[in-house]
Amino acid sequence: MKLHRAKPEGSSANAAEPSRRPGSEEETIVHSLAEGISAEELARVEEMEREVAALQAKPSRKLERGIGITLVVLSIAGLIGSRAVTVRTETGGIDPRWWPTVICALVLVLSIMLIVVSLTKPPFDREDLEVTNRDGWQRLIWAIILVVLYLMAWKLSGNFVVPSVALLVLLMWVNDGRGLKALVFYPLGTVTCIYLLFHTLLRVPL
Amino acid sequence: MNPVVEGLNALLDPTVMLGMALGIGLGMLVGMFPGITATMAVALASGFTLTLSPVAGLAVLLSIYTGANFGDRIPAILVNTPGTPAAISTTFDGYPLAKQGKAGLALVISGFAAAIGILLSMVVFSLAAVPIASFALQFGPYEFFALVVLGLTVMISISSKSLIKGVVAGLFGLFLATVGRDPMTADPRFTFGLDVLSDKLDFIAVVIGVFGIAEVLDQMLSHNKLRLKPVASLGRWWPNKQEYKEMGKPLLIGSVIGTVVGIVPAAGADIAGLIGWDRAKGLSKHPEEFGKGSFEGLVAADSASTSTLGGALTTTMALGIPGDSVNAVMLGSMLIWGLQPGPQLFSDHPDLVASIAGIMVISTIVALGLNLFRVRGLVKILDLPRNYLWASILILCVIGTYATTNDIDTVVVMLSAGVVGVLMKRTGFPAGPVVLGLLLGPLAESNLRRALVIDGAAGFLTNPIAAILLGFAVFAFGGTLVGRIRAGRKESASKAAALAEAKATEAR
Repeated sequence: MKLHRAKPEGSSANAAEPSRRPGSEEETIVHSLAEGISAEELARVEEMEREVAALQAKPSRKLERGIGITLVVLSIAGLIGSRAVTVRTETGGIDPRWWPTVICALVLVLSIMLIVVSLTKPPFDREDLEVTNRDGWQRLIWAIILVVLYLMAWKLSGNFVVPSVALLVLLMWVNDGRGLKALVFYPLGTVTCIYLLFHTLLRVPL
Repeated sequence: MNPVVEGLNALLDPTVMLGMALGIGLGMLVGMFPGITATMAVALASGFTLTLSPVAGLAVLLSIYTGANFGDRIPAILVNTPGTPAAISTTFDGYPLAKQGKAGLALVISGFAAAIGILLSMVVFSLAAVPIASFALQFGPYEFFALVVLGLTVMISISSKSLIKGVVAGLFGLFLATVGRDPMTADPRFTFGLDVLSDKLDFIAVVIGVFGIAEVLDQMLSHNKLRLKPVASLGRWWPNKQEYKEMGKPLLIGSVIGTVVGIVPAAGADIAGLIGWDRAKGLSKHPEEFGKGSFEGLVAADSASTSTLGGALTTTMALGIPGDSVNAVMLGSMLIWGLQPGPQLFSDHPDLVASIAGIMVISTIVALGLNLFRVRGLVKILDLPRNYLWASILILCVIGTYATTNDIDTVVVMLSAGVVGVLMKRTGFPAGPVVLGLLLGPLAESNLRRALVIDGAAGFLTNPIAAILLGFAVFAFGGTLVGRIRAGRKESASKAAALAEAKATEAR
């Protein structure tokens, strides 16, 4: 479940957020009980708030440093690529190589700054992201592999329907979908709807 | 026939009406779903609206835009989780109100504030778009380049916790725009001999990748079994006379702030909501109630975030510079339909501009009507099994992209953009500046190169409009930088004070 919580205290991204005074929680509870919401419901909702907060991704200095180093490598590759662009008429100065070269040079300077910042300042908070998990990485890798295989099958066979049904069945399977509804009715129904909408109604040659 | 009447008449076409109905329903649903933003929905829909007529296609896209601005408030109030970033500020007072047993009232007031915000901003669109477009007819290469810089700077300033990462994202977008043929000499750049890259990177494919696929992949990565538990006791629904009266002042503050923020290129509804809430707090007689369930706070936040819609449309249609990321996607679709947003749109297609205003007003009124139904049951959508959602979005992203060019290689571009998008998301690089950079890159490059050839860099100082726009850009970036440095120092000081206090307590 993706959750964007409006929480980060002191985060520059949410500078205008209300500050929570000590004791404000108690006030809310008193209000709640006075206005009719039950104490059990309030407790249930607040338990959910705590669970969500526990799932926020943690800041990482190592990650920030890795980002900076990767960007340095990429910007140098970009610079080399920009200078290697072949132009039909050599005019020098502001030619087709100039703009990408300027961009890559700026990125190189900024990536060095990112490395310096990662060494000298605390890492940026990542409260808007949730922690990843092993199952999540497996789901992600499977999804990418299946979509790549699907595109290859579609391109080679020229048939849209069969690879699409197979893709949906396999995607549901790797994401814990079981039973007739998930593995038969949903894939067949979805592909039928897509075919009717795109091929028949919108005349997209599938 | 009068172009306004002609434009409004076009809305009576059954395809357009069906498009609006579909768009509003879809917009409200995606708005309610945390993690599916309006930009993602519009990007996905743009894949299959390209085969429709421009008015019918825009009816779908614009209705999703307005519908999402109503739907996103429902989980913000009931679960403290904004459906889209635009509703972040709704959570400040909406959720405390729900915890006080006033969720029904908060939902109704929020709906009214959102609708009035959009309608007021559409009045501004109707009045200001034509003069702005006429003024923009005087723009030359210097002014257009300065405008692109301003748009990118504003988006960079507000979209990332790290300004450096925001700038890098914007530059990455500009770099991606160099793939294909040089805009002035037509020399191929970074095409690697591939047909799919020989013209340029397909904009819709990249947008669907970074907003659609990347979001699904990120949800797959971090999915957990946690179930959201909405507040179930909704209490009364309709405000009393006193509560209606209290809405006036924050509504005005929010709407003015939202419209102004919306007009600034690339500034979105999330930032407008935060500023509107903050200003209303500063001007309120009861600032102490803000953040604890204040109706004023809720109204200011919602009217500010939704009134950006008219402002953003004004900038997009009059200048051809997207007012926010949803408009960036719509602008891409319009280009494919052969429509060039900007000053010329008002002289070449005045009826289309009237249609756009009509679609916005009608979809807002219909969405408000839907919002006033008892929406508690709708939050059950949050329990929809994620595997169905992921599989559906994935295949729709694939088909939607394929429909734009009928070429599977374009889908490969979309998938690659999705993988890059998820990496960016996990490492804190915002997607907005990338998309804006990709869209405006050719405009920026060709105008800058032309300007430098005509009169050199000094021309930016001798052209007053360009100088003013660049001045605004420097001000926006510098202001954000100074603000962040101050906030950082304040945070460090408070941490140090807390540490010292803890040490003193320990010593005692």
